[in-house]
Order: sequence, then structure tokens, then C-alpha cells
Amino acid sequence: MTDAAVWVPPTWDEVVREHADRVYRLAYRLSGNRADAEDLTQETFVRVFKSLAEYTPGTFEGWLHRITTNLFLDMVRRRQRIRFDALPDDAGDRLASNSAGPEQAYAELHLDPEVQQALDELPADFRAAVVLCDLEGLSYEEIAATLGIKVGTVRSRIHRGRVLLREALAHRAPGVRPAEPGIEVQA
Amino acid sequence: MNLPVQHLSDEAVAAFADGALGNGARARAARHVADCPECAHAVAVQREAVWALRAAPAPTLPGGLLERLRAVPTTTPLSGRPIAVDDDGAAVFPAFGTAAFVEPVAPPVVPPAAPPVVPPAPAERRSRPYGLLTAAAAVVALGAVGGTVASTSSAGPSTPAPNGPVRMQPAGGSTVELFVAPTAGTAAVFARTGR
Repeated sequence: MTDAAVWVPPTWDEVVREHADRVYRLAYRLSGNRADAEDLTQETFVRVFKSLAEYTPGTFEGWLHRITTNLFLDMVRRRQRIRFDALPDDAGDRLASNSAGPEQAYAELHLDPEVQQALDELPADFRAAVVLCDLEGLSYEEIAATLGIKVGTVRSRIHRGRVLLREALAHRAPGVRPAEPGIEVQA
Repeated sequence: MNLPVQHLSDEAVAAFADGALGNGARARAARHVADCPECAHAVAVQREAVWALRAAPAPTLPGGLLERLRAVPTTTPLSGRPIAVDDDGAAVFPAFGTAAFVEPVAPPVVPPAAPPVVPPAPAERRSRPYGLLTAAAAVVALGAVGGTVASTSSAGPSTPAPNGPVRMQPAGGSTVELFVAPTAGTAAVFARTGR
């Protein structure tokens, strides 16, 4: 209470220094390539800058997650529309995966290529749920709020996304850590 | 009587693997998983996927991006909302929440001491000049630094603020009004673009 009274707004520089890594990491894991991740990060901070007046203290991380993720999903949908216009109808199935294109060549500089490729092959909606849950550590409820979907939908997307991911990694990377005998199943 | 095997739903498998079930559901799921290889496997698959993801190294911020992000206040056309920029060109948050901006200040104050270099359209002048001074006062009140709004000036797009190298790049053809609140060693500048 007194904290709120003496709270001093951070400078832009502080905002950038504190949050740039997190936003870029999320953007990269969602988009799977550096060029898109940089664009998404830049656009996220532009949105933040333009919307500072609407910001209320205490929700900055959630706000950044929401902006970044929705910018990513918008980007994917935009590209789908473009490709649907340009491609024959049987091309649709693969489009949701937003395969990264030429940028993939140097994407591997930054992230385990097997894992990132497996992520890239997930449909974008599944990928967003899995990344927010398993890499960003958001709760189901936070993910539901971020994506504007129900918690049950979050759970099923996470489940399906992980199954697909595990299958992709089993195929490409036999070294994936196997189930341990002592794996804790209870509580 | 033999009940059909009730496997965990996909949603429950994920939630159980994440330890996100409530106590009762978790105990039931644990009992089932202990006896059901199929569901135990499904849970293991979930966890293996998580391990694989978390084992992957985090991408690092590319060189140059941080500087571009820092420069966002100087490269982003203003949308009409007040912002503050300090001596280094870094923005200072004007206020959080909208309260500081909606409080009306009457009557309309058009500072006579500072005729604009580019006269804004009268309608625009009338429509939104007040929140700025309110916001300026709000920031001062927020304790960014002491001082009051001591001067007000208007500037063309490339004209620096009187007290600091503020680099605004407004949208083409628009005007920028800078409201400067001198403070100890720095200046809080509130700017907006005309449309």
C-alpha cells in the first residue's frame, strides 16, 4: 500500500533491460527463427511504448507474454492467408506449422536444432500453449488468459503438442532422455 | 462385476504430469496410473517432451537488437498519448493507469507565451491539450523528481527540446508539442503529435 504510494515508474531503458531477454526468448521459441523473433520483439516493445498509459503495475510480464504471443499468432494467420491465396487446396495441412523458411539456416546458432524444429512443426496454437507452459512456466490459467481460450482447451493443446513433440524427437533424436524407472507419478 | 477401464483423459494426463490436478483428482489419477501401463506411458511422454524442451539452451539476444529497443521512443511515431523522455532520449513513464489523463482541466489552456512554430489546426488544439499538463503534474507528483511545469514550448518535428537532446520523429507532416518540466539535472518532456 505504501509501496504503491512511493512506486516510481521505471524508465524506458530499465524496461528494455529488464524484459528484452524474456521477450526475445519467447518470440524465438514461437517463431523458430531469428529474423521473425527480432521483428516480434521489436513490435512488442513498440506496442508497449504506445500503450504505456494503459499499463497498470503488477502485470508487466503477463502483458508482454500476451502481446508477443498474439503478435506471433497474427503473423502466422497472416501468412496462412497469403499462402492459401497463392497455393492449391491440398497445401493447407502444413501451413499452420509456419515453417521458418531460409532463416532456419542460421536459427540453429541459438537453439537446439532438433528441439526447435520439432517445435516449429507443431501447429501454431499448440506451439504457443506448449511454449508458454513448458518454457515460460505459465500456469494453465495464465495461458488461458493469454490466449483467450478455456483452461480445458489449454490442457488439451498442451497434451497434444507434447505428444507430437515427443514423437518428432523420438524420430530425430534418439538421445532424448528416456522415462526413468523412479519417475514420480504420485502427487 | 467388471467395470470397463476408465483411462485418464488427455487433459488429465497433461495436468497430472504437471502436478496441476486438485488433491482428489490427483490421488485418483495416481492410483490409476500405478496400475495402467497405457496411462503411465502417456504421462511419461508428457514429461519427456517437457524435459527435451527445457534442456534446450535459451536463445540469446542478438547484438544490435537491444539498442534498437532502447531507441523505440525515438523511432516510434507518437500516437497522441503523452510520454516523457529524459536527457538521454529514454522515455520516462508518464503515469500508470488512465486516471492521470482523463481528469479534465478547464478552461482550455493554450499557453500564450509559446506560439507554435507550426500552428496546429484549431480543432485539434481544442480537442486534446489538457491531459498533457495533467500528466506532467502527475509525473511530478509521482516523485520522478521535484519541480513544476515551468515552461511550455512547441517545436517542429526536428527541433530539439530546450533542455535536452530529445529526438522525436513524428509521423510525416504532423506537429509535435513538447511540454517541458525542468528538474534536477534532467527534464521530463511530454510530447504529442498532431494528426
